[in-house]
Amino acid sequence: MLEAPTAGRSTAPRKSPTDFSLLEQWLSSQGRRPFSFQRQVWMSYLAGESGLIHAATGTGKTLAAWGGPLIEWMLERSRNSDPGSPSAPSVKRRRDAPGLRVLWITPLRALASDTLEALREPLDALALPWTLETRTSDTSGAVRARQRRRLPTALITTPESLSLLLSREDSTEKFASLRLVVVDEWHELLGTKRGVQVELALARLRTLRPEVRTWGLSATIGNLEQARAALMGQSTEQASRIVRGEEPKDVVVDALVPPVIERFPWAGHLGTQMLPLVLQAIEEGESAIVFTNTRSQTEIWYQALLAARPEWAGSIALHHGSLDRRTRDWVENNLRAGRLRCVVATSSLDLGVDFSPVDRVLQIGSPKGVARLLQRAGRSGHRPGAISRVTCVPTQVLELIEVAAARDGIIAGAIESRLPLQRPLDVLVQHVVTVACGGGFIPDELLAEVRGTQAYATLRDDEWNWVMDFVTHGGAALGAYPEYSRVVRRNGLCTVDDPATAKRHRMSIGTIVGDADIAVQYLRGPRLGSVEESFIARLKPGDRFIFAGKPLEFVRVREMKAWVRRAPSARGAIPRWMGSRLPLSGELAARIRTRLEEASRGEFRGPEMQALRPIMAVQAKWSRIPAANELLIERVRTREGHHLFFFPFEGRLVHEGLAALFAYRMSRLCKITFSTAANDYGIELLSADPAPLDEALAGGLLSEDDLLADVPASLNATEMAKRQFREIARVSGLIFPGLPRSGKTARQLQASSGLFFDVFMRYDPGNLLLTQAHREVLERQLESSRLGRTLERLSRSSILTTEPPRTPPLAFPLLVDRTRQRVSSESITDRIRRMQLVLERAADKIR
Amino acid sequence: MTRDLCIEIRGETLWLLPERAIFWERDGSLLIADPHFGKAASFRAVGVPVPHGTTLHGIRRLDALITRAQPNRVIFLGDFLHARNGRSRETFQHLAEWRAQHPNVEMLLVRGNHDRNAGDPPPELRLACVDAPLIVPPFVFTHRPGRIPEGYVIAGHLHPGAVLVGRARQYERLPCFWFREDDAVLPAFGDFTGLAPIAAHATHRVFAVTADAVVEVSGASVGNE
Repeated sequence: MLEAPTAGRSTAPRKSPTDFSLLEQWLSSQGRRPFSFQRQVWMSYLAGESGLIHAATGTGKTLAAWGGPLIEWMLERSRNSDPGSPSAPSVKRRRDAPGLRVLWITPLRALASDTLEALREPLDALALPWTLETRTSDTSGAVRARQRRRLPTALITTPESLSLLLSREDSTEKFASLRLVVVDEWHELLGTKRGVQVELALARLRTLRPEVRTWGLSATIGNLEQARAALMGQSTEQASRIVRGEEPKDVVVDALVPPVIERFPWAGHLGTQMLPLVLQAIEEGESAIVFTNTRSQTEIWYQALLAARPEWAGSIALHHGSLDRRTRDWVENNLRAGRLRCVVATSSLDLGVDFSPVDRVLQIGSPKGVARLLQRAGRSGHRPGAISRVTCVPTQVLELIEVAAARDGIIAGAIESRLPLQRPLDVLVQHVVTVACGGGFIPDELLAEVRGTQAYATLRDDEWNWVMDFVTHGGAALGAYPEYSRVVRRNGLCTVDDPATAKRHRMSIGTIVGDADIAVQYLRGPRLGSVEESFIARLKPGDRFIFAGKPLEFVRVREMKAWVRRAPSARGAIPRWMGSRLPLSGELAARIRTRLEEASRGEFRGPEMQALRPIMAVQAKWSRIPAANELLIERVRTREGHHLFFFPFEGRLVHEGLAALFAYRMSRLCKITFSTAANDYGIELLSADPAPLDEALAGGLLSEDDLLADVPASLNATEMAKRQFREIARVSGLIFPGLPRSGKTARQLQASSGLFFDVFMRYDPGNLLLTQAHREVLERQLESSRLGRTLERLSRSSILTTEPPRTPPLAFPLLVDRTRQRVSSESITDRIRRMQLVLERAADKIR
Repeated sequence: MTRDLCIEIRGETLWLLPERAIFWERDGSLLIADPHFGKAASFRAVGVPVPHGTTLHGIRRLDALITRAQPNRVIFLGDFLHARNGRSRETFQHLAEWRAQHPNVEMLLVRGNHDRNAGDPPPELRLACVDAPLIVPPFVFTHRPGRIPEGYVIAGHLHPGAVLVGRARQYERLPCFWFREDDAVLPAFGDFTGLAPIAAHATHRVFAVTADAVVEVSGASVGNE
C-alpha cells in the first residue's frame, strides 16, 4: 500500500513496468513474482524518493529495498551502451567494478553475512558486475586494508563501522558515487544511542552527497511516522513515504502450563520442572528455536537439554551475540539447511533472513512486550500454509499472566512504540571527534548539519558550545586545561592532529554497546567468543566456567585474551552480561492490570489464568488481588526487617523511579535507611525499623506536587545516575575499552566510571555529561512522563493496605531480588555502627 | 568535630585519623600512603578531560592535616606522584607552595611502584627519597604490604576498601585501615583513587573511614545494636 509522499515534490513515478523486466524475469525463473509493495518501492526509488518500509520479518523487505538500485544501474547501463549490443560481460577485476553505490546498515554484525547472501543472489543471477562486501568488527585486517583503497559497489556495515569509515580522512571521495543508504531493522536502532549515531552518520552522508536516498526497513511499530521522520532528518528537499509490506501471517500464542502448581511455586525458578515439557515440544517439530531473554540463560538451557538428551549432541546448538563469528555462521547455516533439531538463542536470532525449516518457536521467560513476541513468533511457519506459532515457557508461574496479556495485546494490535532519543551529548562528542578525524570541519557548518537530524533539531547554542569546548580543551572555556589536546582549531578548521589521539578515538567508537570485552580462546585452538572483563576478573587460574556450551578451565589472561582449556565436567560458573534486564512494556503492563482485575472478580479466562487460580487464591487469602483502579500496598515483617510492597504494575523502569521517590519522601519524615528493589510488577522498600507509611500517605506520598524537585532529589539519593554515567563515560571517550599491548601506560590510565562520576560531581558539577546522566535516568530509564502519569493514576486509585502473615505470591519475586538501591537520611557513621564487615569465607570457618 | 581513634601496636600508640593518615605519637611521625599527585594531569595529557582540583584539593587537605597534627616529620609510603606525564608545572608549583608553609618538618618518601615510573619529586621540595624498606623499630615502612622480619610493616599500595553489610540488606563500601598480624595497610590519601575490596579475616582489625570519623568495623564492635 502506497501512502502519499509526506514532503517535497510529489511527481508521481511514471516508469513503465518493463523497466523491471530483468529483475522480474529472474524472479519468475524461480517461480516468484514481485509483490506490489516491492514494485511500489522500486518506482518510488527510481523517482528519487526516500522512505520507510514496514512489514513482518521474511516478507520481502530486503528485495524491495535492493531492487531499486539494481534496476537503476541496469537502466544507466542500457542508456550508456549501444542499443543493439548485448549487456556488458561481468568484470573480472575488483577495481573495474562500479564504485560505492549502496550502503546497507545492519544493527547486528551477526546479520551481516546473512544479508550478504540475500543480496548476492540477484547480483549473481543477473550477472551484474558489482562487488558486494561486509565491513564489521569481524572483518579481517586484509579486507579492511583493501577496502581502504577502494570500497565495493555495495557495502554491508554496522553503525559503528560506518562511523569508523567517516573518521578516515578521504571520506569525501569514498562516498562520491553513493546513491542509496539502506537502514535495515531500523526499529531496533530507533530509541537507542546507536540509532542516534546512525542519524548523525546519515546527516554527514547527505552533506557529502546531497542526492543520496535513504530507505529504512522496519518491523511494524506503534510510531511509524516518528520512525520515518528520524530517518529522514529535517531535510525537506526529498520526498519520502511510508510503504506497508505484506500483512503478517496469523499468529498463535500458547504456553506450556506446569502440570502441577505446587504450594509455593513462586519461590523459585520453574526451570527443571518445565524441562520435560520443553523436550516434548521440541520433539513435536522438525526444527525449533528456543528463545531466552539473556545470554546466560541460553548457556543454562543448552546444558540442560544436552544433559537430558545426550544423543542430541551435534544436532542442537546455541547462538548468542558473544560467540565467535565462525560458530554463529555454522549455526545459522545448519539451521537454514534444516540440519539442526534445536537452537537455543537470544535476540541474536530475532532478526535477519528466514530460517525456513523452523516450525516451532519457544520463548523461555517473560515475553516482555507485544512486538517482541510477535517478532519471535514470526521466525516460524515460513512453509506454505503454515501459521506462526510461539509457545511461552514460564520460568516463574506469574509469567503466565504475561502470556495471557501479550495475547490480548496481539489481538488488539497494540504494538509498542520506540521513542527516539533527544540530544544525547555523549554521542555528539564522539561524532564531533569522528568528523574532526575524517578531514576536519568548520564549526558553523557542522552545527547546521547536526541540527538537521531529528535527535539534535533542538540542540541549544550553549550545548553546542559546551561540546566544542569539551573536545578542544576539555571543559568550559574559562577552566581550559593547558595540557589537554584532542581536537585542535587551526584557521577555522577543527581537526585531530595527533595520530595517537585519532587511534584511541577509533578504538572507542565501537563501544556504545557493551562493556569492555575480553576474548576467550583455547590455549591451542580457536577463539570461542568474548565475555565481559568483569566476569574474567573474578576468576582465578583453575576456576571452571561454562561458555559457548562448553565446560572450560581458566588458565590466564594475556594480551587482552582469556586463555582456557577444556574442562572434564560440565560444572562451573556461567558468565553474566550487563544490561540484559529488559523491562516490561507499558502496553503489556496495562493488559496485565486488566487480567488481574478479572481475577479479583473471580474470572479466569484461558488456560494460563486457569492454571494460576490456586496462586491467586493464596494471594487473595493472605492479602488482596488489586483491581485496575486499586493500589495494593503490603506490609510484611521478616527476620530481615520491615518490608513495604507497592504494586503499580507499570514495568520496572517506572518502578525504579517510584521506589526512589517513595523512599526519599518517607526518609524526610524520620531518620531511616531503605534498601529498595523494583521489578515489572512492583517495588519493595526494606528498612530495619518500620517505615512511616500512614504518615507519608496522609502527607502526599503519591502526590504529583513537587515532582519536579522531588524526582531529581530522590535520584541523587540513589546511585542511579552514577550507574548511567558508565555508558556516557565510555561513549564520550573518558574510559577506553583497553589499549592492547600498551602495558604500563594503559594501567596508569585506568579509572572506573564511578570514580570519574565522583570526581566530576565534586570538581566540575556543571559538566554537561553529568547533566546528561541525570537527564537520561529521568527521561529514558525512568520515563519521567510515564512516572507523572503513573502517579496521577495512583493518586486517583483507592489504596488497599494489607498486613499479610507471610510474603504473598505477588511480592515474593521482589523479596529475593538482589539488585538494590539505597536511600537514607542517616549519616554514614551512624549507619555503619549497625553493620558488619564482610570477611573472607575461609575466616568464617575458623570462627 | 573530627573523631580520631587510638590503637596500640607493638607497644606504640598510633592515632588513626579520618584524613586517611596515621600519627605515630612517640616519634611524632605522620604516615601517608598513595597520594598519587598529578594523576588528573596525566589523564589530561592524553586527552581525557578530568577536571582540575583533585591534586590541589589533596595538597590543601595535607596542609590542614599537618597544621592539625603538628608532626616532626611526614613519611610518604609510596606513589607520591602518579606518572611521568603528570609532572606538570602547575602541580609542582602547588607542591612547592605547600612545602614552604612547613619548612621545619622533615619529609621522607619510601618509593613505590608509581614513583619508579614517575621519578622522584624535584629537589626543591626537600623530600628525601629512599627505597623500601625503611626500618624505624619497631616498624618497617614500605609501599607494598607483606611480612618483613625486622618489624611490624606499615604500607599502602592496595587502596583498601571495607565492605559492610547490615540488616535490611544494607551495604556500604568505605576506605579503611587494615591491620593484620605482621602488617598494616593505609587507605589511599589521594582523591582521584579507587577502592579495592579487602578480604579480611576474623583475626584482623579493620577501621572504616567516613568524612569525619574513624570507626572500627571488626572484632569487638561487631553487632553492637
